[in-house]
Amino acid sequence: MKEEQLLAEELFDHSPQPDQPLTVPTRGEKPVGRSRSAVLAVDGQGLKRLIEASLSWLRHHQAAINSLNVFPVPDGDTGTNMLLTMQSAWDEIADSPEQNVGVVAHSVAHGALMGARGNSGVILSQLWRGFARSLGNKQTFTVADLAQALQEASDTAYRGVIKPVEGTILTVAREAALAADQVTQQNGDLTVALDYIVGQTKQAVARTPSQLPVLAEAGVVDAGGQGLYVILEAMLRYLRGESISKNEDLEMAVDLKPVFPTGHMEQTHSDAFAPISAADDAGYGYDVQFIIVGQHLDVERIRQEIDAMGDSTMVVGDTERVKVHVHVPDPGVPISYGAGRGSLRDVVVEDMQAQYNEYILGRSSPPISSPVLPDQDILTVAVVSGDGLTRVFESLGVGKVIAGGQTMNPSTQELLDAVESLPAEKLIILPNNPNVIMAARQAAELSKKQVVVVPTRTVPQGIAALLALNYQADLADNERFMNAAADEVESGEITTATRSVELDGIRITQGDIIGLVNERLVASGPTVEHVLWPMLGKMDLAEREILTLYFGDGVEPEAAELLTVRIAERFPGQELELIDGGQPHYHYLLSVE
Amino acid sequence: MSKSETGLGWIEVSPDAIATIASQAAASTYGVVGIAPKNLANEVAHIFQRDARHGVEVRVQDGRVVIDVYVIVEYGTRIVSVATSIMDLVKFDVERALGVEVAQVNVHVEGLRISDPD
Repeated sequence: MKEEQLLAEELFDHSPQPDQPLTVPTRGEKPVGRSRSAVLAVDGQGLKRLIEASLSWLRHHQAAINSLNVFPVPDGDTGTNMLLTMQSAWDEIADSPEQNVGVVAHSVAHGALMGARGNSGVILSQLWRGFARSLGNKQTFTVADLAQALQEASDTAYRGVIKPVEGTILTVAREAALAADQVTQQNGDLTVALDYIVGQTKQAVARTPSQLPVLAEAGVVDAGGQGLYVILEAMLRYLRGESISKNEDLEMAVDLKPVFPTGHMEQTHSDAFAPISAADDAGYGYDVQFIIVGQHLDVERIRQEIDAMGDSTMVVGDTERVKVHVHVPDPGVPISYGAGRGSLRDVVVEDMQAQYNEYILGRSSPPISSPVLPDQDILTVAVVSGDGLTRVFESLGVGKVIAGGQTMNPSTQELLDAVESLPAEKLIILPNNPNVIMAARQAAELSKKQVVVVPTRTVPQGIAALLALNYQADLADNERFMNAAADEVESGEITTATRSVELDGIRITQGDIIGLVNERLVASGPTVEHVLWPMLGKMDLAEREILTLYFGDGVEPEAAELLTVRIAERFPGQELELIDGGQPHYHYLLSVE
Repeated sequence: MSKSETGLGWIEVSPDAIATIASQAAASTYGVVGIAPKNLANEVAHIFQRDARHGVEVRVQDGRVVIDVYVIVEYGTRIVSVATSIMDLVKFDVERALGVEVAQVNVHVEGLRISDPD
C-alpha cells in the first residue's frame, strides 16, 4: 500500500515540462475542481500520463478485481493479469519523450501484446491494438478521435474469439465505445466526454450479472469489465486532477458479495470455495464488513490484526478510510476492534450458517443481511416507509426503523417505545417528515433517556444526517453535525396530486404528477419527465457532486433505469445513483449532495 | 475409458465425451479463432460428420487423461498466453462437467489467422 501511495503522489507532482505543447493539465496548472479549463486534445506525453494513472489505479484495485474473478475459470487472477499487462505497456513508454500520440499508442499496444497475461490480458492487449491502429500517426487525439479509437478497440477485441460471450470485458468495451460515440457530438472537452463514458461503463459493468448467469450465481460483476472500468476511471481522475490514492470505488467493488460455494464449482484454494462437505463443526460463522473512518489509520497493521481474528480477510483503504471484510465465529470481535480505531460506517453482518442452510434448502433468495448495532452508546431511530429505504437505513447502521411517512405518521407512543427498546442511553430520532417532527419531540421529552431530535423533513435529509453520525463524538456534537449535513442536501419529491388546487402560482389537477424541491412545489404535469426537468433546473446540479434517485413501489425498475439514462443524456457530467426505495406514494425521491 | 468408483458403482466417461467438452472449451477461449483438423486425412474422413469433437484428441494413459487440442489463433495476440488460457479452460471445463481429472492439455497451434494486418 505504501508503494502505491508514493507512486500516486509522484504521478501528481510532475511539474509541466517546458517543451511540451501538452494539452492535458498537469499538477502545475492546478486542474482541480470546477475552475479547470477544457481539455480539447491529448498528445503523446498526455497519453503517457493517462497510462501511468491507469497503471497506478489498477494496482490499487488489483485485489478487489481478483476477488471478482469467476469466469471463465475462477482462478482469481484477473486483476493481477491486467495489471501485469498494463505494466508491460507502461515499461514500453516510460522513458519515451515522444510527442506524437499515435506513436505512443502503438508502443502501448506493443508493450501490452508482449506482456499480455491471461485471458483478460490478451483481450486488453487487443483493445490497445485497435486503439493504436485507429489513431494511426495522429499528433494528438480529440473527443472524436477517442470515440473512433474506442470503437476500433472494441471491434478488434471482438474479432479475437469465435463466439463472444456477453457480460464480459468485451461487452463493457463495446458499451464504452457506444457511450463515446454518443457524447462526441455534444462536447469537445475530453474531461466531460470521459466523464460520460466512465459513467456509462460503470453501468455496463453493473449489468454484467444479468448477461452472464455464472456471475449472478456468484453475486459478482465481471472482473475483466471492472478492470476496464478502473482503467478508464483512472484517466478521468487524472484529467480532473483528482487523487488516485482514494478508494471509494474499491469499497464498492469489494461490497459485491464474495463468492459463495455453488456446489458445481468445487474449488479448494480458499475457504470461500470449499466444497460443501468440508464445512467443519464450527459452522460457517459470520461474514462481517465495515468501513473504518479515522485518521492516520495503518492499513497494514489493521490487516494483520483482523487476519488473526478469522479468515477470508480483505482489508483495503488508505490512512482515512479502511474497508474491512472478514469471516469470524464472533462478529463482535472485529466490530469492537474497528470501533476502537475510528468511527464505523456501513456495518454489515451476515450469518453464513443461515446462508448455507438456505442454500441447502435450494432457495435462491439473496443472503440475509442483518444490521448489527454498533457497540456504541448513541443509537438512532428513523421513520421510513418502504422496504428499499429501510434497507438503506439499516445498511447505514440505524438502530431501529419505524414504518411511517406521508399518510401514516407513527404515534408518539410508537416512537417512545422504539427509543426505550434500544440498548442505549443516548438516542437520536430522525423523523424524515415534517408531520412526524412534533411526535418525535414529544417522545424525546417523555423519555427518561437523553434523546435528541434532528428535525429531518425528507428521507434524503435523514440519510445525509445518518451518514454524518460519528460514534466517537458526544450527543450535542452529533446533533450539530447531523443538522448541518441535513441542511446540505437538496431534496426532491415526485408524487401524484390527490386533489385539485392552485399552489405557489401553479395550477394542479387531481391526478397530476407534481414535483417538489425542498418541499416547495416546482412543477406539475402529466408525466414524471414533465416535472423532473424543471426540478433538476432548480436543484443546481452543476454545483453538486451526486444525484441519487430512489424509485417507489409503483415504479418499474426498467422505467427508473430509462429515466436515469435520460438524465445522463441531459447532464453528461452528472454522477447518478439509482436505488430501489420501494416507498409508497412517491414515485421518486431525489437528493443532490 | 476413464473410470471412477463411487459407493454405488463406477462411472465411465468415454474419450468422445471428454473430447466434446474439450473442443467446446478450446473454441470458446479468447484468441482462438478456429479449431484445426489434425491432418488432412482426418479432415477428409470427417468431412461428412463435422462433429463436436473436432480438433481434439483424447488419450487415457495409465488412467491419466491427456488431451491434445489443435487450434488456429488470431494473429497479433500473445500466443503463449492464449495457449495457457486454452489449457486452463479445457482442464477446468472437463473436470467440472465430467468429474474426470485431466493430467495434461497439449495445445498445438496449427495456424494463425490475420484479421488485422498490423
